[in-house]
Amino acid sequence: MIELVNVPSLMTIQDLGRTGYQKFGVPVSGVMDEVSARLANYLVGNEDNTPLLEFVLRGPTIRFHSSAVFAIGGDVDAKLNGIPINPWESYWAKRSDVLEIGTLKTGMYGYIAFAGGICCERILGSCSTYLRANFGRALKSGDTLSLGYAILTGKDGKKLPEAFVPKYSNESEVRVILGPQEDHFTEEGIRTFLSSTYEVTPESDRMGYRLEGPKIEHSEKGADIITDAIPLGAIQVPKSGKPIIMLADRQTTGGYAKIGVVARVDIPKVAQTRPGGKIRFRAVSVEDAQKALRRRETTMEAIKMFLLGELKAYKLKALGEEVIAFTKVEKKR
Amino acid sequence: MFPIFKPAGDSAIAIIFGNEIDENVNKKVHAVAEAIEEAAPEWLIEVVPTYTSVYIYYDSLKISYSEVLEAVKPFLSAEPREEEKRIIEIPVAYGGEFGPDIEFVAECNGLTVEEVIEIHSKPLYRVYMLGFLPGFAYLGGMDERIATPRLEKPRLKVPAGSVGIAGKQTGWYAIESPGGWRLIGRTPLKTFDPSKSPPSIVKAGDYVKFVPISEEEFWEIYKQEWGESNDRAC
Repeated sequence: MIELVNVPSLMTIQDLGRTGYQKFGVPVSGVMDEVSARLANYLVGNEDNTPLLEFVLRGPTIRFHSSAVFAIGGDVDAKLNGIPINPWESYWAKRSDVLEIGTLKTGMYGYIAFAGGICCERILGSCSTYLRANFGRALKSGDTLSLGYAILTGKDGKKLPEAFVPKYSNESEVRVILGPQEDHFTEEGIRTFLSSTYEVTPESDRMGYRLEGPKIEHSEKGADIITDAIPLGAIQVPKSGKPIIMLADRQTTGGYAKIGVVARVDIPKVAQTRPGGKIRFRAVSVEDAQKALRRRETTMEAIKMFLLGELKAYKLKALGEEVIAFTKVEKKR
Repeated sequence: MFPIFKPAGDSAIAIIFGNEIDENVNKKVHAVAEAIEEAAPEWLIEVVPTYTSVYIYYDSLKISYSEVLEAVKPFLSAEPREEEKRIIEIPVAYGGEFGPDIEFVAECNGLTVEEVIEIHSKPLYRVYMLGFLPGFAYLGGMDERIATPRLEKPRLKVPAGSVGIAGKQTGWYAIESPGGWRLIGRTPLKTFDPSKSPPSIVKAGDYVKFVPISEEEFWEIYKQEWGESNDRAC
């Protein structure tokens, strides 16, 4: 069991989301940055979809009431019993140890994964918190959480190779697939969208990020559409001409024209941009977006196997660039 | 011209069957959505039918966009199965504490409260789709004689089950939420219950009939419906 001694910001339990119920109006929810969250889970030997803690900007202080192995995902200073520890590394905590996590130096969302995951009330098959429907709740100081059963031996001391540590930037280029309602915009409007820099405003949360910047012109078809589905990363442009990127807690359907959808591979980049941060959009084909996603997932799988001890990682120099290569570990019989 | 196929990002395809709200278009939407769901191909994540489109969410690590485009074609010939019309009765206590805006709706349209109740509970409403919030049904078929503009300032908390009117639309809040609809009544039914499968008592393609009930009947049904039940998992 762990005790949340201090929770200074919105902190919730999340997994990879609640799929299969959008047709009943149930939002998917789930972690905002699936790469950071999944890496944190890999570091403690968990599966991708294991429930973990997600916090915004400021991390919590946690007291352990039993032994646990944990890892922090995020660019943040932390201390275990007053001694500095690193993110992206797994540690063993004993009963009565105290973990203090500071403020994220870059990025917006941080993660804490525990070997065995967090016990929680599964709603429609998922532990993802969705506050608007009271699926779970915002965690408070004084709350206690039970951890799932896990063999802890051998799970601590894992370290994510530096080359794979996510880098969060407050200025990023994001790939988009135009459509499905690109005909609701003029050519000029699409040009404005693809050539301007947009700023994330403070009216941004787990549901979506509102952007400020040059007004995107609608065609004679206008900003409103017959209510239609909203995929993750959909960029709605209401009458104001200012885009909104729809994220984890987005409603399942909506009535604003969608100029494009962010490539899934770039969703973490968007999610980790803070208010005031800048986003530029670049159009790519659906094929290129899918290729990029497959490449990323091949790497994620290799990292997972490496952290499980089934692959060895080597640093190589290829074409003047440092790359990491993996080889199989020969199992002794 | 229809259907039109469009990528909706790299993990969804939109199949669009029309460009206006139309019962026959919507029936086709549900027929195709159901056919794909029934076939349950291994790359399928979920299907979301809307007024005029079917969104198919797929695992793009298992199938590419061009492959999905081919894979969905056999399902496009699916036809609505008329004989399976499902009618869901929704009991509603109109007026009073349950529908604080019913007088306004009556006044606004030059009707009596009784007439509003009669007009509202008469039609068989079609559930075109669910969306927006958990269990929220978009209904078609409201009589325009009771159309009323939304509240200028939405209420911060509308109780679950509240039945309202917004412009030419009617519907009910399946879960407690903020909202700007004019409230005319409330159903005691737990229309959305995440501990049940399916979680919603209506699904897209169903028909809904509002049945007026008294305050006593409301509380009687309410007690049966709203017992707490939690499914804890670890």
